[in-house]
Amino acid sequence: MGTDIGELLKKRQVEISELSHKVVAIDAYNMLYQFLSTIRQRDGTPLKDSRGNITSHLSGILYRMTSLMEEGIKPVFVFDGKPSHLKARTIEKRMADRESATIKWEEAKEKGLAEEAYMYAQASSKVTQEIVDDSRRLLLAMGVPWVNAPSEGEAQAAHLVKRGDANYVASQDYDSLLFGAPLVVRNLTITGKRKLPKKNIFVEVRPEIMQLEENLAELGINQSQLVDIAICIGTDYNQGLERIGPKKALKLIKEHSNIENVLLALEREIEEVQEIKNIFLNPSVTDNYTLKWKRPNTDEIIAFLCEEHDFSKERVIKACERLEAISGPEQRTLDQWF
Amino acid sequence: MFKATIDADILKSSIETLSVLVDEARFRISTEGLSVRAVDPANVAMVSFELAASAFTDFAADDCEIGMDLTKVNDIFGVAEKNEKATLELDELSQKMSIYIGGFSYTLSLLDPSTIRAEPRIPQLELPAEVVLNGKELQKAVKAAEKISDHMSLGVDGDIFYMEAEGDTDKVRLEMPRDQLIDLRSGEARSLFSLDYLSDIVKPASKSNEVTLELGKDYPIKIGFTIAEGAGKISYLLAPRIESD
Repeated sequence: MGTDIGELLKKRQVEISELSHKVVAIDAYNMLYQFLSTIRQRDGTPLKDSRGNITSHLSGILYRMTSLMEEGIKPVFVFDGKPSHLKARTIEKRMADRESATIKWEEAKEKGLAEEAYMYAQASSKVTQEIVDDSRRLLLAMGVPWVNAPSEGEAQAAHLVKRGDANYVASQDYDSLLFGAPLVVRNLTITGKRKLPKKNIFVEVRPEIMQLEENLAELGINQSQLVDIAICIGTDYNQGLERIGPKKALKLIKEHSNIENVLLALEREIEEVQEIKNIFLNPSVTDNYTLKWKRPNTDEIIAFLCEEHDFSKERVIKACERLEAISGPEQRTLDQWF
Repeated sequence: MFKATIDADILKSSIETLSVLVDEARFRISTEGLSVRAVDPANVAMVSFELAASAFTDFAADDCEIGMDLTKVNDIFGVAEKNEKATLELDELSQKMSIYIGGFSYTLSLLDPSTIRAEPRIPQLELPAEVVLNGKELQKAVKAAEKISDHMSLGVDGDIFYMEAEGDTDKVRLEMPRDQLIDLRSGEARSLFSLDYLSDIVKPASKSNEVTLELGKDYPIKIGFTIAEGAGKISYLLAPRIESD
């Protein structure tokens, strides 16, 4: 998903406490996908209630968000709206990938290949409308606000940061930077010890912060050129140029100053290149939102999770108590008095 | 160049005033003395600290800046006995500080100051009310509040300074009229503060007979006091918590 410009970017590992009292605009689909793909049983089956409904995302939202909020982080979820027609191919491909992963998962299970089964199970994760609806319902009960993007969630999340209503975009993708997010944080909910796929090695994952301006200065390019580089490599809206990776793309864009000249020089073509640039540089976003963190509605959380989805009441009550403890008057930072 | 001798107690309490907020600090050294300005990682509280050359029994220094791990310094000064002197000597080339105390001679590796968070600017605040009271009284009120809630309000109502905490079910309030205070400048003031921070800050302040609080309405609080018979000045700034509607 997204564009693979990661190797060009400078990231700074930070302690989670650095994000304390900061508003973090979370790319909701990205985060829900993470929950669905990582919160699973040992054989790869997602968490389910007794009626067979998937509940991995609900577990992720309740427990991981509560932990983040205890660190003083103020999350706001940003949900995707209608995708651009240019994304159709990517969406089709994702669907096909998921279907083939589902088949391979079954095959691997039959053959008793636990590791592979788990990997294909992860790749078969899908954020359905039902999962989105359930997530919104739980967020509402927890008092966590969300924003509905007109189109791309990452673009709207970047917009929140640009307007000063949020401090960071949280996403594993690099696209938020293409949408102009000044500050992006990765690994927000997977911080801690994580197992490397296919290997029996555990690594310590910490949050990483990427600063847009700093990276542009480091690379010696502007925002529009960063988008051009992404288009060369390939984005959710176009296939990249053949045999061109991030480093080559950077070199080409610096040499020819923009994608149009690069295409001319290489005698290549990318369909609707202006339209794609426009998606990143002038994304469709809205100012119509309010961000308010409210006290959790413990009764509703228990009714929803325990009665409808068979969560352990004891654990849910504990999480609710943690949420209650951190609601109340909001801690300000000194920044606003400088 | 920096070489100085001081009562170990003074340096110990100086470090404590900083370590309640930060683990590492940049010390600015000049012919006038030492100074530190630091803000906690969450940007909620700030400390300004100055220790004049006159607080030292010997003091010789040029302008320089060093970074120290406060936890390590705290540990070193843990061995100090009452009324013991400590001598500090900076080796600028190797970036090490030698500390001689109670027969021990420590060599402490310094931190590169550029790796420590930059000094914060000091906000210009107009705080209408000012209260001067004994540090012990302040600490007593904070301790009482901690039993009830995780935050407390401090305010001035006419000639009364009050501290109040309200939990889910219980409430505690301490009122101090003008005659129980060392000084009072009345003004509209009532702000809410996190007890996590307040109790840490009040700890070093409680040793002072005269703590000055400057307050406003939903505004940061300034908490100031001196150590080493006035040669050391400490001032904290703590951002408020604000009731959302």
